[in-house]
Amino acid sequence: MKILFILIALFSINISAAEEVKEVVKDPGSDLLDFSSIKDIIKTDGLEGELKKKETEKRVLLDKKKLTDMKRYNIPAQSEFWSMFSELWLVKNAPLLKWDFHKPEFDLEKSFISLLEAQGHYEKKIKILLLDTTEVIHAALPSNDDEFIFVLSLPFIRTLDLSKVEISLILFEDFIRARKGYFKNYVQSNELESYLGTNFAGKPFNKKLIADHLKKYNKVLMEKGFSFQEQFETTTEMDSLLKSDLKLWNTYISLLEKIDNLTKTNTLYKKYSQIYPSPELQLNWLKPKPSRF
Amino acid sequence: MTKFFVSMMLILSFNLMAQTVPNPGAMTRSLVGIRYFNQMMGNVHQNASRFSQVLTTISCNHPVKIMKQTSKDGKDFAMAGDNDWYMVTVGPYDGFIMADYLSDKKNVCFEEEHSKFFDGLNLDINDLYYWARLYDQYVQGKSKVRQ
Repeated sequence: MKILFILIALFSINISAAEEVKEVVKDPGSDLLDFSSIKDIIKTDGLEGELKKKETEKRVLLDKKKLTDMKRYNIPAQSEFWSMFSELWLVKNAPLLKWDFHKPEFDLEKSFISLLEAQGHYEKKIKILLLDTTEVIHAALPSNDDEFIFVLSLPFIRTLDLSKVEISLILFEDFIRARKGYFKNYVQSNELESYLGTNFAGKPFNKKLIADHLKKYNKVLMEKGFSFQEQFETTTEMDSLLKSDLKLWNTYISLLEKIDNLTKTNTLYKKYSQIYPSPELQLNWLKPKPSRF
Repeated sequence: MTKFFVSMMLILSFNLMAQTVPNPGAMTRSLVGIRYFNQMMGNVHQNASRFSQVLTTISCNHPVKIMKQTSKDGKDFAMAGDNDWYMVTVGPYDGFIMADYLSDKKNVCFEEEHSKFFDGLNLDINDLYYWARLYDQYVQGKSKVRQ
């Protein structure tokens, strides 16, 4: 009897324990939130929109940073390349060109600017660099729009004992050549043209292209020079521009005579006629044509 | 010994006086404003001359302190030469920079705009020296605006 009583007690304990477990299993199911019922409320509280906004802001910021990093690899466009490139040539060839020397103030820029203004060339920025060599006599280097970089040999000026007006006329001749783009056209190539204004992010910098084009400066100014056709065009333009001021025109003629004489008598300047062919021809082109009557 | 001590004291007091009493002929130097260097590279010179000794080299957009000196009679001098040089302080150096090479506002600088291209040119210290000298040696000008 005692045993039966114990068994009944144990059995009842087990049943109640099983019911409790059932309740525990049942409870979580009944307590879960039904999100579908509050979906609309979540949508209207603006949190999703805020999240999207934050993500967009982050993306824009990253894009901006990426763009700024990319921009650092921009290759200058034609409009900003040439002055820098000519200066690079001057810097790399400083020992050859000997422009870093002590010299008096000649005020050449003032007389040349007066001539430019008299000829109607306004708002032109000029830079003149005197050279203590005869390797390069005079030239206008390729430069950005409305800017002109001139190099001019001081020994040449001194040998010919040139006046400021004569020096200004030499610079004006170079100014015309630069405006016609002769020098730039020699240096320019399709490869360089297509390289400028692009971006080299993720690619190596094209050192060879730069070095090769720098060499072209030396080729033009020390070997090849300008063509007869280019010289003819320059001289005839000088002729038509200066004819309105006969005094200036006569100074130009006497300047060419001086240069012609120098190139024929001084071996140091023999190469001049090869670079600028030729003072003698220029004088012939400028000679007034005989009248038919 | 006492004689030596007294002479030492005299020398010391003389030195102290020399340091504390202002020289009546000396000028006072004060800040006028800040300007920015507007060329690729350039030099700060010891005197107002393109051929005077170079104190330091600066690059485009470098901020420069424009200084003025006031004489004992109250006159101010901020420019030198034919008024084409500014008296400046750059870092520890007091010198002169050509007025045309300084701007009121920051400039658009080639080496900043195309920094990686400029790096690619691989300019060494010698090249940078010559680039700064180039702006000393140039004579520059601009024809006037059409009337």
